[in-house]
Order: sequence, then C-alpha cells, then structure tokens
Amino acid sequence: MSNMFSITNIKNRFISVIAPDIPPLPSSHSHQLHRGNISGAPSNYQLRMAHQQKKPDKFAYARPPFLQLLTIDELRASADHNVRPIIVPRDITLLPWGTGYAECVNSGKSEWNEDQAAFARQVLSDPTHSHPDLPYTYYGIFDGHAGYGAALAASHQFHHILHEKLVDCLELLLPRDEDAANSKQDSSFPHPSHFQRRVSKDELIIGALESAFFNMDALIAQDRDRYRDAGGCTACVALFINGKLFVANAGDSRAVLSQRKSKCIEKNNATTGAITNADNGTGAQEVFAVPFSFDHTPETERLRLLTVARLKPHLMEKQYAAMEYAKRPHMKDLGQRILCRQGTMKGWTYKTLTRDDLRMPVVTGEGKRSRLLGTLGVTRGFGDHDLLAINTGTQIKPFLTPHPEVVIRDLSKIVSIPDENNEDGDYGILVMATDGLWDVSENDAVARTVFQTLDKYPTEKHRYTMVAQELVARARGKINDSGHWRLADSKAAATVDDISVIVIPVYQYYKEHVEWEKRCAQVLQERRAKVTQSATEACEDESLLVNGVTKAQVEVEHDDAEEEEEVVVEVNRQQAQATVELEEDASQKAESSGQTDPLSAHQSAEKDVKDLIEHELSAAISALDATESSEDDKKEAKESSVTTPEKTYKAQQPQQQQQHQHHRNRNRKDKR
Amino acid sequence: MSYAYLFKYIIIGDTGVGKSCLLLQFTDKRFQPVHDLTIGVEFGARMITIDGKQIKLQIWDTAGQEAFRSITRSYYRGAAGALLVYDITRRETFNHLTTWLEDARQHSNSNMVIMLIGNKSDLDSRREVKKEEGEAFAREHGLVFMETSARTAANVEEAFINTAKEIYEKIQEGVFDINNEANGIKIGQQHSPTNPSLPGAGNQAGSASSGCC
Ligand SMILES: Nc1nc2c(ncn2[C@@H]2O[C@H](COP(=O)(O)OP(=O)(O)OP(=O)(O)O)[C@@H](O)[C@H]2O)c(=O)[nH]1
Ligand SMILES: [Mg+2]
Repeated sequence: MSNMFSITNIKNRFISVIAPDIPPLPSSHSHQLHRGNISGAPSNYQLRMAHQQKKPDKFAYARPPFLQLLTIDELRASADHNVRPIIVPRDITLLPWGTGYAECVNSGKSEWNEDQAAFARQVLSDPTHSHPDLPYTYYGIFDGHAGYGAALAASHQFHHILHEKLVDCLELLLPRDEDAANSKQDSSFPHPSHFQRRVSKDELIIGALESAFFNMDALIAQDRDRYRDAGGCTACVALFINGKLFVANAGDSRAVLSQRKSKCIEKNNATTGAITNADNGTGAQEVFAVPFSFDHTPETERLRLLTVARLKPHLMEKQYAAMEYAKRPHMKDLGQRILCRQGTMKGWTYKTLTRDDLRMPVVTGEGKRSRLLGTLGVTRGFGDHDLLAINTGTQIKPFLTPHPEVVIRDLSKIVSIPDENNEDGDYGILVMATDGLWDVSENDAVARTVFQTLDKYPTEKHRYTMVAQELVARARGKINDSGHWRLADSKAAATVDDISVIVIPVYQYYKEHVEWEKRCAQVLQERRAKVTQSATEACEDESLLVNGVTKAQVEVEHDDAEEEEEVVVEVNRQQAQATVELEEDASQKAESSGQTDPLSAHQSAEKDVKDLIEHELSAAISALDATESSEDDKKEAKESSVTTPEKTYKAQQPQQQQQHQHHRNRNRKDKR
Repeated sequence: MSYAYLFKYIIIGDTGVGKSCLLLQFTDKRFQPVHDLTIGVEFGARMITIDGKQIKLQIWDTAGQEAFRSITRSYYRGAAGALLVYDITRRETFNHLTTWLEDARQHSNSNMVIMLIGNKSDLDSRREVKKEEGEAFAREHGLVFMETSARTAANVEEAFINTAKEIYEKIQEGVFDINNEANGIKIGQQHSPTNPSLPGAGNQAGSASSGCC
C-alpha cells in the first residue's frame, strides 16, 4: 500500500511498535497521560525485536493457491522487483466462470507482495434434507501493510468464518416451498409480545458479512500472543448468492462494475459509411463504471474519526487535536482568531488559538496522502492491533474498524436481450482490485480497458484473464532508464505498489444461478406433486423458466418469491446490535487469554468508544427503522414483479444498504 | 542449497515451438504431449555445476502468442541468457526469428548470451528448416546454435548448460558487472563472504529478512 507509509515511516513504525515488555497504556479514566517508554531504551527495542522474531508465522508466506507457485524458486522469481512479472493462473479452470486474475509485486518497498486474493465455492445444505442446497461463491482481495500476515490470514480464514455465519442463518436462507415456510413462521412466534421485526434475506446476508469481518479482525487479535505481528490489511469481498451480488468492503481496495449499454440503437440509424466510426465511438461512449465499494481513508472518514476523537478525547493522549483548521496554526499565531471546525461540524467557526491548537490534527493531508494520527492512510480493515502512531506512540486501533460497507446488486432484476449478445455489458464485469490499480487508473478508464480487451479476444477461454493482465500491465507501466516506473501513454508515474486484480464475469454466475433455480423448482414441484398428487400448473411454470434471462422468468420468479423474500424473525433490541456483542465477545476472549497483556487497556478503551458510537448508531438506526420499516421492503418487492418492457437501469445502480447516520453524512469522494 | 551464482534465463520464440516443453524436460525430465498454452509467464529453476561451481538457473518461460508480446518485452530486463526457439517443422517460426532477435537486442542488456534452438529434431520426417539454415542464421547474428528435442531430451541439457558456460566465461573475462542485478546474475553466499551486503545474497533471504513482516 503506497499510501500507508513512506519507507522511512515503515522503519519508524518498527521502532514504535509496542511489545509485551512495555508498560500498559493508561486506562481510559486516567488523567495522568504519558507517552509510554518508547524512545528511551534501544536495548529494550532489541529485546522486543528478538521477541518478535521468535514467534512463528501463522501461515507460511505464499501466493494465492490458484496461481500454483509452489516452490520457493517460483515465489522468488515472481517477486522480482526489477522486472515485476505479471502473474496469472497457469490453469485458468481453477477459477469459476473463467474469472480472470493477475498480480504483480511492488518495485521494492517490501520484500514480498503483501496483497492476497482468495475465492471459495461452497454449498449451504440443510441437515434435514428438506430444502434444496444453496450454493454460493466468494472472492476476496486483501491489501496488507506493515507485513504480510494479516492479508495472508484473511485469505486463508475469512471464508471459513463467513461460511459459519451463513450456516448460522441457514434455515432462513434456504429455498423452501410455501407450506414449509408457513409452518416455520408460526413456530417462530412463541412470544408475540416481544419486539418483532421483519428481516429480509438480504439483511441476513449483510449481517453474515458484517459479523464475519468483525470475527476475522478478532481472530487476528487473538493470534498476536502466539504468532508474529501480522500487520494489517484491507478487505474487499464479493459474495454471489441467491442470484445476487454482495460486495463488502473495508479499506481502500475497490470493486467497480464495468458495464456497457447495448449498441443496437446506434446501428439502426448509422449509414454504411458511418458504421465503423459509430462502433469505434460507442465503444468508449457506452461503457461506464459503477462503484460497488467506497474507499475508507482518513479523508473520506474524517467525520467518523473526529467523532471517535470527540467522544473519547483520552485516546489522543493530549498529542492530537480533534479539530480541523482552515490553515495550519503556528506558534506565532497564538492568541489570534482562526477559522476551525470541531467533530461533526459541517461549517466553520472562529476560535482564539491556544497552545492546544498547535497539536497535530487527528486527520492530516488530503486524498491519497491523508493520514490518521500522522501515520496510517487507511481507516478500515483487519489487524493493526499493535500499531502505534509515529513519534507519539499513540494507539491507533481504536480509530480503526473492520466494519464493512455492503452494496447489493439483484441480478434477477437485470434485463438482457439475448439477440444483442450483451450479457457482459448488461450484467457487468466486476473488477476488484487493490489500490495499486486504482491509484493510477480512473474507474471509467478501467471499464474501457475491460471492454476493449474483451472485444480483442472475443472467443478465448482466458479472455477475462487477459483483461486482468492488461489492467495490471497498464498500472505497472514500464521502467525507464533511470529505474522509474512510468505509465505507457504518458510520463506520469506508474504504481510502485503491489497490484492485484480480479475480473469477474457476473453473467456467468447468473447463468449458473438460473440453472440451479430450475433444478430447485423441479425438486419443489416433485415434492409438492407427491403431497397433493396434482401437477396441473407445473407445465406453465416450466416453460417460462427455460429462458433464464428473459423478463418472463424474472416475473415468475418474483411472484413466486415474494412470500419467501421476507422472513419474519423475532429480534429484540439487543440482537439488533449483534455485531457489537460479537466484537465484545472476541475481545473478552482475547483479554482472558492474557491478563497481563498491555493491550487489554487498549481493548477496553476501544470497546468504550465502540459502545458509545454504537449507542449513537443504534439510536439512529431505530429512528430510521421507524420511518423506513418494512413498508419499503414491500414496495420494492412489488416493483420487482412489475413487468417493464424497457431495461430497468434504475436497478443497475448499486443499492447502498448501510443506513447508519455517519455513513450517510459522510462525504464520499472518489480519490484520484 | 547454496550456489555460487544465479543466472536468469528467458525462453522466447513463437507459440507452439516447444518452449514450455524444453523447460519441463530440463527441470522435471518429462515431456508434455498436449499444448498447454502459456499465458503470461512461468518459472523454472535447476542447479547445475560448471567448473566445480554450483550455479542456479532461474528460467522464465514466456508466452509466444502475439497478444503477449508487449508484456514479454518487459521480461528481457535482467536476463543473463536467452533461449530463442523455433520449430524445425514450421518454417514461419524460423522466419520470425529476426523480429524476435530485434526485440531481444533492444530490450535486454547488451551482454545477454543468446542461444538459438531448432526444436523438435525428433520429427525429422516433417522437417521444413534445414540444420544448415539454423547454423547460418546463428553465425550471421553471433549466436550459439543447437537442435534439440524436448520429446526425446536430445541436446536439452546441453542447450541450457552451454548457455551457462558462455555466461560463466564472460564473467571470468570481466565482461559482466556481476554486482548489478539488472544483468541477470546474482552472487551466492558461498562465493562472496567478503561482500555480505549484497541484496538477496544466498538462499535464506526470506528468513533473514525482518523488514517485511
Ligand atoms: N515431437 C515433438 N513435439 C514437441 C517438442 N517440443 C514440444 N512439442 C509439442 O509442441 C507443442 C507445443 O509445445 P509447448 O512447449 O507448449 O509450446 P510453447 O512454445 O511453450 O508455446 P506457447 O506457450 O504458446 O508460447 C506441444 O504439443 C508439445 O507436445 C519436441 O521436441 N518434439
Ligand atoms: Mg509455453
């Protein structure tokens, strides 16, 4: 991650890393704030480093298994910083749907490529065998910093955690016939007096993703005692389940859906001579990019970070100011008035400068160079439990969160006309990549490259791999005579960071899903036929389901699914905060495993902040719930069942599911 | 295993000439009868002995398809040796040699040793390029030449080892600046106890590094 630290900062970081022989930081109630004994003792530092060295890696360093770089020699060659080879899977059938992948190592800022990628295909099966199995596919991309441990752990373990979470709500997710559904519903209302909320399948899946993110982070926290410091990583995850795409993101990796409108209209009114022109033109014009994640950097998360700082001022140890100033205050300005804003303020106000205002602001810099506590360039993700701010040694983790934002795309609502052969354009190509790509490529430029490359290789089995390779090649650029990496089409600097790109043809998933639905419908019908011994309307359903991408199918599916879509479950207020509990659980576990751990203080501090924020959030959520409750869901379900002859472009926009207050207020800027 | 030197090789030439098969025969002593199109780049490694010294060859097998040409060009950098391969049963692969050579000369360091290889010598009945033609081309362009068969393993060892011998001789003559990794040569630990600061020296670089993890 180029935005994390400069090379010297990385070195600084290792000097300031706290280890078990450092006294614990003051508890949250102590007013005797001090710096911690960091700079004083070099012998201490050496001891600590020696201690760190002794601990083993949890996972041996490796590249993603589907690359089949099995020997140390291959690993070493792939990490050649002078050449930066672009690595693609040698056997492309290892990834589903012809999905493309390519990666390339940094130009020397760390010995190994600290990005990781993973995928898993799984089935959720009903232990009682009364429902058909529900398959899902997961992809993850993790950008490590300050070590490869966290990203490696996430690539090995995240999908197991996610699977557990999905299994947890299995019975509510599995497809079922109505009779079974009805009896289930009845049995889930033993106490009608309790609070009850309608919870949709989507919300269950979002919840599974969110809690899996929290658990993954907690797991890395637990492993600190036994294994070498893992550093931290961002996480961008795509989950294909139930005919929908869920993208969950924490950090500054990014998922972008590249789409292309069908060319049909242009062809109709083009003269013979103009056709080539029109085609060339439309290739660029009709391609567009839809962001499916939002970057979490100190700049984009300024409001959340300042809120944490405002609510828990002791976290800053009197070293930082939870203020923003119109200009950087200097000693000579003391006593003068300066424009500033505090916490969640949107506007600016005057204050008289005091000595306290000379502290470093919690958030400094802009865009890619923005920093949290002058140290970190990314504000969500896994790990970083031991990360201390440069120069001050302040704990950074309480400001970070593993909480992902989740974006959904309901693929059953997309209409693609078979004659136009534009499935990849209509359903889109999901490009998931670490910031190595996005630092030097605009979303739209990526989308154009996607379709240009696909057009160039219309039939190749490895065409999506070619796309991934092309995207990495462009971002990496070429090395010039003086050893600098430059973009091919300009003299601008190329990425010196690790680059990893996954290219997913979404339609290929949907095709598979429609097949599965057909099989499910068959199974259910057979079962129903057995029970009622009448299969009168079966033929009709069957014929409509055959053409998976026609509107007719979508309509039928939704008429059918409307009842199922919302599952009524019983939720009381505490359960609404499940993720908070989860996290507390985990940190309690971590605490009990090592009472003398100096980090327990930090954890309780972190917990306090989370509590406070989550209280605010839950208040906001219940306010929202009151106004945007299940009525909305119903309306949406109805809309989806209405037959519209035109394409529903509205449905193609990502649906932002998080409705937490600070998310909504937050300024989501696309970084350059 | 420690080595005195590591040489980096690159294998180039049209698609289907047998580049991946040559590598597989050299590293694994096997033959792969179906064409597994290489996309991107693949790596192989093997230890050889020259003049009583352990030399590790790190071999980059590139994709021959036209579509990969621009990416392949970036892999010449830092190669000490190149195997330029054509297929003796397909004349067009021989005709393309000039283009390959231009590419190689333009993007590699000037000392790179290039070995010209006429592969599939076992298919003599289908031969389209005479051995003399290969020899003449090599002479004209200052290359070393050999005919090989990745299927029967004929001359495969020799092709890789003779290239290494050439590089080794150049090192002895002082032609290569062996301290510049961009030349495709690394010195192993056993060779240079006096110069421990060399980057990536030895085999244990992974365990010795604390910086990245
Ligand atoms: N008879 C015979 N066949 C060979 C020999 N070498 C390779 N082949 C065959 O030629 C085909 C192509 O070999 P590869 O090694 O995959 O070709 P390549 O040069 O790596 O091709 P790209 O990866 O596309 O650049 C395969 O079917 C091999 O079995 C040989 O020495 N003799
Ligand atoms: Mg090959």
